[in-house]
Amino acid sequence: MNISETYYDEVFSFRGQWDMPSCCGLRIIRKTDVTCVIVTELYHDNPGTSVTYAGRSLLEQICQAKALSPSDVVYLECNPDAGSKLSFYDEAYYEVSFIPDAPQTAYRRLTPDEVKALFTP
Amino acid sequence: MKLKLIYPRWEKLKGQTTFNLPPHGPVVFAASLPAYVDVSFTDENVEAIDYDEPCDLVAISMMLSTQVKRGWDIAGRFRQRGIQVLFGGIATMLHAEDTFKHADSVFLGESEGRMEALLADWRNGQLKPVYNYMTQPQPPIELIGPARRDLYKSHLYNHKGVQMVDLFHASRGCRFSCYPCAVSYLGGRVFRPRPIDRVLEELASIDNNRLFIVDNSLAQNKAWEQTLFREMIPFKKKWISHTIEDDPQTLDLAAQAGAWYVYQAVYDTSDYIRERIRRYHDYGIGVEGTILLGLDNQTEDDILRLIDFLLEIDLDLAEFTVMTPFPHTKGYDDFLREGRIFDFDWNHYNAGQVVFHPKHMSAERLQELYDYAWTAFYASESQEARMFRLFCNVALREMNDGTYRPRDRKLSGKSFGKDVRRNMQTV
Repeated sequence: MNISETYYDEVFSFRGQWDMPSCCGLRIIRKTDVTCVIVTELYHDNPGTSVTYAGRSLLEQICQAKALSPSDVVYLECNPDAGSKLSFYDEAYYEVSFIPDAPQTAYRRLTPDEVKALFTP
Repeated sequence: MKLKLIYPRWEKLKGQTTFNLPPHGPVVFAASLPAYVDVSFTDENVEAIDYDEPCDLVAISMMLSTQVKRGWDIAGRFRQRGIQVLFGGIATMLHAEDTFKHADSVFLGESEGRMEALLADWRNGQLKPVYNYMTQPQPPIELIGPARRDLYKSHLYNHKGVQMVDLFHASRGCRFSCYPCAVSYLGGRVFRPRPIDRVLEELASIDNNRLFIVDNSLAQNKAWEQTLFREMIPFKKKWISHTIEDDPQTLDLAAQAGAWYVYQAVYDTSDYIRERIRRYHDYGIGVEGTILLGLDNQTEDDILRLIDFLLEIDLDLAEFTVMTPFPHTKGYDDFLREGRIFDFDWNHYNAGQVVFHPKHMSAERLQELYDYAWTAFYASESQEARMFRLFCNVALREMNDGTYRPRDRKLSGKSFGKDVRRNMQTV
């Protein structure tokens, strides 16, 4: 289950749960009004924590590494099309909102039009 | 030092035949302890915990999500007495964030070669809140020693004179990473077979003709699997396992090595599955189908068709479960993102209770279909009757090769340590 490199610009290494060495695909899209950070789950190529389980910690590590402010970015998780016959591995994008000082996280799946707009310069 | 090792009880699924097998994790862990540690083991599924038993340290080993809340309660009782409590095992790794709050220390990872340092910290009053070995390479696989089966009170794993199987493992890790499964997170994504001589050493030490080889899947490396089976033949054990490689030579060797029956996933109604079952049977290996209901690619009709299909193919037993989003699986991530998990009570994560909103039906409807699946499959012949047939099958094979042990008459009135209640009416 190899994830196509078209999903990301770099493989970002991060500390997952219990500091487990983990990695994800990373693409940062800078638009005129907003910066979008897209993390892509690499499944078998990620030896550690999933992007969803890493959650807020992953966003903070990316922002620190890339000199971004978490409050100034739109943070997106990508389930890439893994080329599997199983529908669980179809492509999906989620906008993730971390509620300050609370463990809850809100997810909103992007519509096909929103995904298209995301990658339109 | 005296270490009290506890395996918490859990609520068994309603309406199903209950067997208590001797737990494997605790005795594998115990084998990794230094020789100076005097271990006292209590499996709460078959005996009550003596909270007043003198001990220096308590270790709670948990395998299932349905054990964790009970484990926390037990820890509370001992900590009130001022005894420190250490948690470990795979359910601890899945639920470590919550378990921290109830523990003096949480051990994450595999214990071989690592307990001496932890116990030195404990002796010095410097037990750390967490021992996290998940970030480090797994310990050398050859360090795994024979499990401490001497800790079992074996008469408690006996039903009416019939001794339950002993659990045993020949490898760790799994090269597969299946959608609902957390094994790749827990044991790593690299298949790690134990050295064959260590496996044989342990096999020789087990005073039981019947085993359950609990490896996640034996179909990981054909050459290793065939060597294992070839070497097992002289032991004349009979055993249960998960999937075996679908290959004539491997199946033949498995049969010669004593394969009794296998757990085989039945996930669709294809001819491939039908033939897969038939090929096991061709080699005299029984099949217990394991059927997972409630995946996102299943509609009500799919589930009903699958149940009909199970009745057509010649399964010996079937075990139904509902999709359960265990932490650290992709299913958990997906359902969490979609806001579909409505129940986070870990006691309900028993794979028999629906805790999420299925994609194509209501949670209530999936629960009904799960109940219907059990009822429909066992309508013509009960689970007990089918198990008895499998039991007769293995007894006959043992009689043929001279390894049959008659039931222990002294325990014929006991079931897992308790008196059997005879269902006899006065005429």
